[in-house]
Amino acid sequence: MDVSGILEEHKSRLRPVQVDRLIPVDHDLGSLAGFDINMLNDAALQTDTDAREAYLQSLSREGTQLLVNELFSLPTVVDDDSVYAALPKRTTVLPREKPVPKEKEMTRWEKFAKIKGIQKRKRGAMVFDEAQGEWRPRFGFKGVNNDGQQPWLLEVPQNADQYQDQYQVRREEKKERIAKNMRRQQRNTEESAAKDVGLSPYKMRKRDLQSALVLSKGSTASMGRFDAEIKGEPRVKGLRKKRSPLVGAAGAEKSKSMDILNRVAKGDTSSTVLNVRKAQRAINNSKRAAGSSGGRDGGNKRKGSGKR
Amino acid sequence: MRPLTDDETKVLFEKLAKYIGRNIVHLIDRPDEPYCFRLQKDRVYYVREEIMRKATAVGRRNLVALGVCFGKFTKTGKFRLHITALSYLAQYAKYKVWIKPNGEMPFLYGNHVVKAHIGRVTEDIPEHQGVVVLNMADVPLGFGVSARSTVDMRKVDPTGITVFHQADNGEYLREEDTLF
Repeated sequence: MDVSGILEEHKSRLRPVQVDRLIPVDHDLGSLAGFDINMLNDAALQTDTDAREAYLQSLSREGTQLLVNELFSLPTVVDDDSVYAALPKRTTVLPREKPVPKEKEMTRWEKFAKIKGIQKRKRGAMVFDEAQGEWRPRFGFKGVNNDGQQPWLLEVPQNADQYQDQYQVRREEKKERIAKNMRRQQRNTEESAAKDVGLSPYKMRKRDLQSALVLSKGSTASMGRFDAEIKGEPRVKGLRKKRSPLVGAAGAEKSKSMDILNRVAKGDTSSTVLNVRKAQRAINNSKRAAGSSGGRDGGNKRKGSGKR
Repeated sequence: MRPLTDDETKVLFEKLAKYIGRNIVHLIDRPDEPYCFRLQKDRVYYVREEIMRKATAVGRRNLVALGVCFGKFTKTGKFRLHITALSYLAQYAKYKVWIKPNGEMPFLYGNHVVKAHIGRVTEDIPEHQGVVVLNMADVPLGFGVSARSTVDMRKVDPTGITVFHQADNGEYLREEDTLF
């Protein structure tokens, strides 16, 4: 039996697998992409819609065919019931979705340490106390740094007041040191917060102060109406009525007035601006009416049950 | 000078609609040139957009008038038509009343129109609708509000009021100092 005729006919129905391109097409099989840098046929693109569509369709078919050809040339793995081709690693570099994270700003201490060349080193929490022959914590309860903090005798300095309690002086000095450190800590957090917002710390502080001032001024019984004005007080911006522009876009004003005219013609006399207080009152009234009628119903029911 | 707010536009159109009905469309949507309504010191002006653009250069305090004054907003937010709007009202009016020559002067002095002075009336005027008053030579004299419908007008005795006076051309003299 000669089947060559049938084969020929079958072949002619299918499109060719081989695609010719002047410049070979680049493929990135890892991301299943092909990059065709051949010139497009300008004449075909500028013809009528149908021809252009046909051209574009054939172009994309050929591109896909080339990609599929490449895929079939990959080494395959045969599983129980299917054949896989392992895709190579993708070669195209895609841009990041998110911007590169900003480098963290150095803290004040880090800057200082860099200038001074101070390096961070690990220190253990416990220290060996040779005098007592045991390990003790570096600081804290029973810490080493507490030694000599409460001397049994204190020398009164030459120029100091004789009757001053030197222990008290030491305590106060320590308190001051702590307070100073707290202030610096506060400053550092403020500076970092300002940096996050993108303002100078001075501007940030000014803004915070002003908003606090506005809040506190409005916190009196009269909402600050009778407060004396402070010099350089920030002006509070109130709500401004939105007016349509004096010279608006062409046709915008006309279409707006046409809308209003249509409403007027329909006999719609409702106000265009919603009076919130009035609306609220109306809602409340209707609620109250509904509530009272509901109560009456309840009474009737009770009566009915009594009769039964 | 500023554009009317939505509420003001509505009040203005409601008043105009009493006289010219849907013909307001012809005022807004003109085939020749764009026109617009502008408010300047409680007066509403109907003005060509080109002139309005030029008038933006003049400060509110210095701007006396522009375009055609249609009327003014009262302090209670109502709109009152002025006689200056007559040319537009007469052009598009739905309901008209023609008065005889012997009735012209009484009307122009600010009196209501009595039955005896009426020469001709548009058919189907409802009660309390805006009407434009013309003389027999079709010259608009002013406008008013119909006291009765056309049908009822026939039944009134000759001295009975048929049109309530709203504005007349005599105001150009009588109200010369306050009109503009």
